[in-house]
Amino acid sequence: MSVSHFRKQSLLFLLTVLLLSLPFGFPQTAKAQEFDRMHYIYDDAHLLTSEEAVELQTLAADLGGQRETSFIILTLNGTDGKDIVQYVEDYYDDNAPGYDQPHGNTAILAIDMQERDIYLAGFKKAEQYLNDGRLDVIREEITPALSDGQYFQAFSQFLNISYEYMGQEPTSDSGGYTDYGSSGGYVGQNSYETGSDAENIFFQWWFQLISSLVVAGFVVTIMANRSGGRVTVNGQTYMDRNKSRVLSKYDNFTHQTVTRQRKPQNNSSSGGGGGITGGGHSHSGSRGKF
Amino acid sequence: MILHYKCPGCGSDMSFDAESGALSCQSCGRHENIENYPEELKSLRFSEDEANEYHCENCGAVLITDTETAATHCSFCGAGVVIADRLSGNLAPSKVIPFMISKEQATTAFQKWCRKGLLTPKGFMNGDRIKSMTGLYVPFWLYDLNSKVQVNATGTKVRTYTQGDYIYTETKYYDVFRDINLDYVKIPVDASEKMNDGLMDKLEPYPYDQLKDFKTPYLAGYLAEKYNYSHEELLPRAKDKISDYIESYIQSTLTGYHSIRIRDKQIDTKNQKSDYVLLPVWLVSYDYNHSNYIFAMNGQTGKVVGKPPISKGKVASWFSGIAVGTFFALKCVSYFMGGGF
Repeated sequence: MSVSHFRKQSLLFLLTVLLLSLPFGFPQTAKAQEFDRMHYIYDDAHLLTSEEAVELQTLAADLGGQRETSFIILTLNGTDGKDIVQYVEDYYDDNAPGYDQPHGNTAILAIDMQERDIYLAGFKKAEQYLNDGRLDVIREEITPALSDGQYFQAFSQFLNISYEYMGQEPTSDSGGYTDYGSSGGYVGQNSYETGSDAENIFFQWWFQLISSLVVAGFVVTIMANRSGGRVTVNGQTYMDRNKSRVLSKYDNFTHQTVTRQRKPQNNSSSGGGGGITGGGHSHSGSRGKF
Repeated sequence: MILHYKCPGCGSDMSFDAESGALSCQSCGRHENIENYPEELKSLRFSEDEANEYHCENCGAVLITDTETAATHCSFCGAGVVIADRLSGNLAPSKVIPFMISKEQATTAFQKWCRKGLLTPKGFMNGDRIKSMTGLYVPFWLYDLNSKVQVNATGTKVRTYTQGDYIYTETKYYDVFRDINLDYVKIPVDASEKMNDGLMDKLEPYPYDQLKDFKTPYLAGYLAEKYNYSHEELLPRAKDKISDYIESYIQSTLTGYHSIRIRDKQIDTKNQKSDYVLLPVWLVSYDYNHSNYIFAMNGQTGKVVGKPPISKGKVASWFSGIAVGTFFALKCVSYFMGGGF
């Protein structure tokens, strides 16, 4: 069937329906779990004193409240044989943390003392604001303290920097991170890759809308231009293949130039990045060792 | 001098029959093989001061013609006549591609083409508003061109590799030279003033294996024109037609480099031969919505060209259809890439 049989109205209707359905995502499969969403510090590896843990809990509750985000810290002694990324994803799926709802805005810092792995993940709003690039920055900032065994300092840094980032639109600071006083370490970190999922222009609905309009306009223009017939001859049509050829040729090497450029500092253990949990929640991430 | 073909059997008018490729009589069905017909127009000379009035050989009525017309119908008795003066001497075509598609076939093919239009209005698609179908032999020059090309260029090959803490970019420069001989044969350029060049270019290609030695009976029953432009006048257009071909051929010989900068390029194109030929074109005059549309159909291959009217409604449907489809597809892709729906 050709599209010519489509009613114009029905097409317009379809378009409208699609546009209206945009702002709503897929319905969430929220399952309530027995999990205290007001508890943020899970020190299974016993790295903190009880005073430190209380202080961090207070800080996380305070900063998280202002940013409507759960800042969760997990210290682990082994991850049940799972990869740390898998562990954090499952943790989010199973316990459904979140500030005001299950599976809500959550930023998780997980360290595993056995493998000396560190993984940071952002979910929902935190996925957007704490994108892969920003999590890389945070991870690099706190790794030295973790390596030194100054866990309390590292964890409070995590809470503070995450708090700052959660207050800044991720697109507005593409030129580099502002130094917000707690330390000077973020200056010069602006060369990290900005290919994170949440900021990927391809995922923006307005970009998709504009590209589809452009594609449609392009195709229709081609159709209109081709309706009058088109040239179907090319260089091969009239060429006499027996006589047309390269009579002589040379390719002489003359000289060469070599330029060199310092390698961009490769993070000793970067990678990981975001992904999608088994429960279908996408997230940003940054993993490394300490 | 007017040539008119009478059936030796019944005395009726004969005309060229596209299906059989022979001179045929519609009254008694007699077919005459054209290739055996004697042709002496090339050597014939007529006085320079062309007669401006011709009389039909059949009925004696005055033939109304343009100065370009070389073959036409008598408007009085309908007999197909050929004006020999305008096809002799240096106006004598050397070859002709006879019509392969008869008027009926052309009409059906055109109506079929109308139905295929994706953007044409519904009323147009019926193909029932054909005002006239005119079988016309259009004068063309077929050029054989030889081009000698010499190109000097600088090519670079870039290689990057890593050593220690550094990334090295190594650029090698090459002095590149190509000496190319290119022969393009039978480039058609229409020599009629009336015909739109762009339209005629789109009608190509013509199957040259159907090229026949010119015989006047091929024109009987059709219209024909003589050329308005000589082969010298049209040579620049022929050269222009192959210039893109030459460029792309040059490019195809300069491969294997990351970048090519052409320093010097000499293209010397010479005309080896130019033949005057008549090529078959059906002209379709079509009436739609009070305006007239002209289409041309290749009389050999049936290819139709010409700008049909465009329906705004259909453009809108296609546009929104494609836009919605693409949008949906992009959404799905981004969903599967993990960007959310």
